[in-house]
Amino acid sequence: MLWHFSLFESSISVSSPSVCCPFCGLLCDDLEVVREGDGVRLERPACPRASRLFSIPDPGQAMIAGLPISLDEACRSAAIILSGSHRPLIGGLGCDVTGHRAALSLAEKLGGVVDHMHGRAQFRNVQAFQDGGWVTTTLSEVRNRADLIVLAGTDASRYPRFFERCLAPASQFGELTRKVVVLGDPVPSIPVMDGVSVSSIPIDAGRLGELFAVMRASLAGMPTRAADVAGVSIGQIEALLADMRAARYGVLVWNAAELDFPQADLTIQSAVNLVKDLNQATRWSGLPLGGDDGGTSAAQTCTWQTGYPLRTAYEIAGPRYEPLLFDSDRLLKTGEVDALVWISAFDPERTPPAVDCPTVVLGRADMRFARAPDVFIPVAVPGVQHAGFLHRMDAVVALPLSAPASSSLPSVAQVLAIIQGETNHAAA
Amino acid sequence: MLRLKNGRIYDPAHGVDGEVRDLYIEDGRIVAAPGPDARIDRDIDLAGRVVMGGAIDLHTHIGGGKLNIARALLPEDHRQDPLPTSGGMHAGCGHAAPSTWTTGYRYAEMGYTACFEPAMQPTNARHTHLEMGDTPMVDKGAYAMLGSDDFFLRMLASGADQRLINDYVGWTLDASQAMAIKVVNPGGISAFKFNARSLDLDEAHPYYRVTPRQVVQALARAVHDLGVAHPLHVHASNLGVPGNADTTLATMAAAEGLPIHLTHIQFHSYGTEGERKFSSEAERIADAINRMRNVSADVGQVLFGQTVTVSGDSMKQYGNHRHASPDKWVVMDIECDAGCGVVPFKYRDKNFVNALQWAIGLELFLRVNDPWRIFLTTDHPNGAPFTSYPHLIRLLMDKRFRDSKLDEINAEAAAHSQLRSLDREYSLYEIAIMTRAAPARSLGLTDRGHLGEGAAADIVVYRDDADREAMFAQPEYVFKDGQLIVRDGKVVNVVNGALHVVKPEYDKGIEKPLKDYFDRYMTVRMENVRISDDEICTCGASKLIPHVCKGRAA
Repeated sequence: MLWHFSLFESSISVSSPSVCCPFCGLLCDDLEVVREGDGVRLERPACPRASRLFSIPDPGQAMIAGLPISLDEACRSAAIILSGSHRPLIGGLGCDVTGHRAALSLAEKLGGVVDHMHGRAQFRNVQAFQDGGWVTTTLSEVRNRADLIVLAGTDASRYPRFFERCLAPASQFGELTRKVVVLGDPVPSIPVMDGVSVSSIPIDAGRLGELFAVMRASLAGMPTRAADVAGVSIGQIEALLADMRAARYGVLVWNAAELDFPQADLTIQSAVNLVKDLNQATRWSGLPLGGDDGGTSAAQTCTWQTGYPLRTAYEIAGPRYEPLLFDSDRLLKTGEVDALVWISAFDPERTPPAVDCPTVVLGRADMRFARAPDVFIPVAVPGVQHAGFLHRMDAVVALPLSAPASSSLPSVAQVLAIIQGETNHAAA
Repeated sequence: MLRLKNGRIYDPAHGVDGEVRDLYIEDGRIVAAPGPDARIDRDIDLAGRVVMGGAIDLHTHIGGGKLNIARALLPEDHRQDPLPTSGGMHAGCGHAAPSTWTTGYRYAEMGYTACFEPAMQPTNARHTHLEMGDTPMVDKGAYAMLGSDDFFLRMLASGADQRLINDYVGWTLDASQAMAIKVVNPGGISAFKFNARSLDLDEAHPYYRVTPRQVVQALARAVHDLGVAHPLHVHASNLGVPGNADTTLATMAAAEGLPIHLTHIQFHSYGTEGERKFSSEAERIADAINRMRNVSADVGQVLFGQTVTVSGDSMKQYGNHRHASPDKWVVMDIECDAGCGVVPFKYRDKNFVNALQWAIGLELFLRVNDPWRIFLTTDHPNGAPFTSYPHLIRLLMDKRFRDSKLDEINAEAAAHSQLRSLDREYSLYEIAIMTRAAPARSLGLTDRGHLGEGAAADIVVYRDDADREAMFAQPEYVFKDGQLIVRDGKVVNVVNGALHVVKPEYDKGIEKPLKDYFDRYMTVRMENVRISDDEICTCGASKLIPHVCKGRAA
């Protein structure tokens, strides 16, 4: 036995009596659950995603190349792999802040690179952000102020309770007639809500940038002479723009993960520039959806510790940030990293990419693999089996996660600490 | 027991001005001179050295959401100043928006042993404590921001009893684990969400119809009644606006004799004289501070070069975005609680406005007579990164040096400024007041900022160098709670600091209406805004140091 886990359980102490859901970037903290098996069953409210992920039907078993082994042996084996690596990728990063701290510490020790499993989507936002900045808002502001919500290239359905939490409820500033406009899929799946009207303008997400550019030109007093742009008639565009200028507090929502085409960062940039321009006369804010699988916490923790929001390597001279070069898929494909640590403690479906290099997986106990990784270490699920901290998609709110079904499985942070300790011996 | 022998002691809390004395340190504390039989484990001879308590920065943006926005926004700045992993220190980055690790190391290397983050938004408090938990070497504390949060404005607008407001302020301090209360552009951050672009001290908020004056008065009263040591920390209305000196003076008067601290007052001391309608009102502001004993201020000195401005004042930061350099900026509305704005900025010595800002800050330092009521800050990173403090100290202590710098700035600004006519040079004793004794007293840190018996052994030893910049940049020794942590300006021992908080008494009945409000309108439960004592060490602080408040009857 390398570690006495109960010591750690008591050292992670958080104050919340309520259950907070760590399984999407909304981080709803009003859940009622009952213990069942090795996980919990969601009682209320109805959320398909939370229902699926709160239940953990498997106690887990550490494995080397698919064969059962003790936790100690698995950690030792992981340490040997990593000690022999020139530059490992500490990827996935699906865990809570304590796990991210441990992942950064290990990466620093090994001279590794860090990137999140949703790095590609994250960095569409980061690139736009670092190029020009933006004006954004948070969920409670949307809930109380938003009278016009434009959904760009998303219907927000990947965030099952977005409308219930942020748009359906009453505003503290009196009656609010809300309009939702979906730019994108012709048949958006948006629930019917009292006092909220929904309309849509069909447009290919890849052409949203053109639409926003024309709107910005119009705001600047340079209306286009074309009859339509990106398949949308100028009449429709001008009507939408008139509505947007008339809004008291407008919110432009996008989900970078759904803007999945080349140079989507430029589409995001055109969206945030439109929001900036609208603020000259009225109030508008952007709301980037995201933050699944601990993505927001990973970026926040890496930012305060290194200055950079992931895709950072620990090199001799200090942290080196390369947002394009240090894309996980690219690093693995080109062989610029020679070992992978894949951290994925929230969702068993978030398995590591198929790679040629040695792979160590810290995953949920119920994770299944097409090809067994070199080392698999089952870890406790943050917010179900161990307590911790997690950031919501807007990065402002960090919530305490509780452990409604605390488990004897170690947390990501505990396993990484053991591996980091073992790398001393392996290297010696 | 450790003995520091023969040092020249500057300990203004005890009126000690450069006397040669020995200090004895045991178990992290300064102790009385033991008898001749006492066993001295280690002796350090400090003949000719200058000895002070650990410096305390009472206004520095070291952590929290908006700092992380600034960090993420400026990779090009970090690239100029990478820090490798070395000697138990983590890798990171420095300059304008340094990583948390680097922040702690560099503060300690300048002889600072405590730093206070002045703008923690209660909904962002847990994140702020996580960042501060990864800021090593120094003690930390944070001021909770109130005054544009909708719950408070609703109470004020409905004419709620002051006692209820006190309870809410007490709850906020307690729940967010804060050391003081700050108000930023009173009511203005909220007004910006209703599309107002300015809000003067006596102008009604566009929705709540209350005025910034009422906000300041209610909060100053609450802080006073709860017995919080540090006065209401006020970032006044109209930051950066030419002519704002009138607002600043009116804000001082609005306190009606209650203690009030005006922060980064340099940014609030502007007139509208001259061709460019921008002038110094440092003299009027300093005179008012000299006259009004209930007022203290920190300066927010501007120094030239690249930095980034981070503020809760989303309204004024939006207004400033045209000056962004490089041209990118972030504004955020936050959780019916507050907001923030991040605008990178390059202060240029040949630019008239920037040069005059520089001169106004120095004028304020030199014109305020009482170093117990004016504090040395650059409002890091807003006026300049904190690493420029040694340079600032030299500007204050060395008139010839100051005049030589005055020769370099925009000539028109230099001609407009009365700086050259000010002969004052700060003494070491005055520097020790404004960076040690005074901030400790203002914050109610009874065992910090001095070298008396029983004090925490936060001690700094400098070589007495005529070049005060070199002297203050590289202390010979820094001790934190009795441990040697810095030698010759370099960290030799990584420690973690504690978190200072106040624990005021208030009626927990306030949680009933507050919970109802959160359940109706917020996307977080009230219970989850509250941070437990146990969480503080999980966030990373070495320990929680609670400070009792003695309530003062209303």
